[in-house]
Amino acid sequence: MPALVSKSLRDHRRSLIRWTIGIGAFFTLYLSFYPNISQNQELYGEAALKKFPGAMRDLMGGLEGFTTGVGYLHGVVYQLFGPMLFVVCAAVLGNQAIARPEESGTLELTVTLPIDRRRLVAERFAALALGLLGVAVATFLLAWGLSAAVGTGVAVDRILAAHTGVFLLGLFFGALSLAVGAAAGRRGPAMAVVGVVAVGGYIVETMGRNVDAVSWLRWVSPFHYYLDGRPLYQGFPVGDYVVLAGAAVVLLVVAILAFDRRDIGV
Amino acid sequence: MTAVVRTEGLTKFYGRRRGLEDLDLEIRPGEVFGYLGPNGAGKTTTIRLLLDVIRPTRGRMSVLGSDPRDPAVRGRIGYLPGELALEGREKAGEYLAFLAGVRGGVSRDRIAALAERLEADLSVPMGKLSKGNKQKVGLIQAFMHEPEFLILDEPTGGLDPLVQHEFLAMVREVRAAGRTVLMSSHVLAEVEDVADRVGIVRQGRLVAVEDVAALREKAVRRVEFHFDAPVPREEFEDLPGVRDLRVEGANLSCTIDGRPDALIKAAARFTVVHLVSAEPDLEEIFLTYYSEENEEEARHARAGVQEPA
Ligand SMILES: Nc1ncnc2c1ncn2[C@@H]1O[C@H](COP(=O)(O)OP(=O)(O)OP(=O)(O)O)[C@@H](O)[C@H]1O
Ligand SMILES: [Mg+2]
Repeated sequence: MPALVSKSLRDHRRSLIRWTIGIGAFFTLYLSFYPNISQNQELYGEAALKKFPGAMRDLMGGLEGFTTGVGYLHGVVYQLFGPMLFVVCAAVLGNQAIARPEESGTLELTVTLPIDRRRLVAERFAALALGLLGVAVATFLLAWGLSAAVGTGVAVDRILAAHTGVFLLGLFFGALSLAVGAAAGRRGPAMAVVGVVAVGGYIVETMGRNVDAVSWLRWVSPFHYYLDGRPLYQGFPVGDYVVLAGAAVVLLVVAILAFDRRDIGV
Repeated sequence: MTAVVRTEGLTKFYGRRRGLEDLDLEIRPGEVFGYLGPNGAGKTTTIRLLLDVIRPTRGRMSVLGSDPRDPAVRGRIGYLPGELALEGREKAGEYLAFLAGVRGGVSRDRIAALAERLEADLSVPMGKLSKGNKQKVGLIQAFMHEPEFLILDEPTGGLDPLVQHEFLAMVREVRAAGRTVLMSSHVLAEVEDVADRVGIVRQGRLVAVEDVAALREKAVRRVEFHFDAPVPREEFEDLPGVRDLRVEGANLSCTIDGRPDALIKAAARFTVVHLVSAEPDLEEIFLTYYSEENEEEARHARAGVQEPA
């Protein structure tokens, strides 16, 4: 493994473990509610959820079939909170690649090593992708186990499809924070951009579905390429996932080009 | 032999702020070059340019015969940053092993030997190291791979006198091995014992480059002679290099500028009981450059007014 990749992974080991535990705890907590909800149809059924305002239901991804296994898993875990946890985790990792070490001053010695600047960014991105993959694999295994344990009845390949989407979404936002950090050298702008794109993208994709004026914007929302294919119901939306992965690669190229032409630590 | 560093018109502006302007500098193989100047003079700016941390606004440079953008060249350099940042739970030893690996490998024994020499504890998490102990780790990483060219930005900052002494010994060994050193400092005293030449930079401009030996020769030194009987003043007047002459009975004091030869020969005609010669004060010369530069600055400013905008 290239030196910078293994070094970054070693440096972020603790933070990766913490994220895995945090996301795992979220999955455990929410999936443990499922038996209770599936047994109380009258409380959580379609009719009950109809009481929520339409816009709010849109924002929660529709909340259809909430008492079924797949509906619950989709609505509670894979619609909003699961992806958002991955997005934040990835954005933090993305900042640790360039912006944070630049702010703290440790990047100065790193760029004077006999490593090409472009390779430096690429290797830090590889570490980000591997770290995020580690969190995704661990939490997938947990989600699969829990889903079977509480009897959601969702097939494992569908969970894998949804989890892959969450991973790719995270990878996209990680690359976004890496790119902004590589261009600006500071964490603030990277977090701001990630925040705006994530929140804006999510709102556009969910509420925009029923608002003609903004529905065209859904095409630029990263969430569109995860949510629109409904992976828990329909399996891998391959084309959409390729778009997400491709966008992450484009952002990596942007990061490399921006970092390669810049003064460090000024 | 080709120069280790050669810059032509090297200039760096941070936005509109001047960091360095029109630097023409040559550092020769095997020499220790002291790079001196007050705060904000442009020392760190120069060094960061040489390592491709920042990019020049204009001008040209070559380091070890190539462009410092070439990663391979950077592998032949040892660099101690002026503001060394070491942090986190990582142990200094692990970090050094990582740096060594990237630079093509350094034996554990070599790192251990350097650590022992500088009395650095490599088992402490870096975030918990004191300033001086961080500096030691910085020195170890700069020296450990025996680079052809060492660039040290204020290397003695935070070091206690014993460690400073050891560090200077390390620099001398590097020079004895025919390798090259560029080290920056605020004061001449810190580098004069090891440097072959010094460059003095001020307000972004190189004001002077001097041979330390020549500087020493030029240096003003105070000399006092005590004779066994009063001496005639005329015998010592108008000797080359002798200034501020004072003769009071059997005591003579003066300052000499350059070689003391003529004075010694004149004094030898009488019986010398006691001789006092103070170390040449290079610092004084150094400060002269600073004040001379003030005048030059004023001249630049006047020239600037005449130029059409
Ligand atoms: N990142 C920066 N942004 C703007 N101006 C800068 C920056 N870095 C340095 N400068 C300016 O460039 C000039 C030279 O700074 P430099 O750090 O090279 O000085 P120095 O000789 O290393 O000083 P010191 O002895 O204090 O370390 C100063 O006027 C400084 O204010
Ligand atoms: Mg400095």
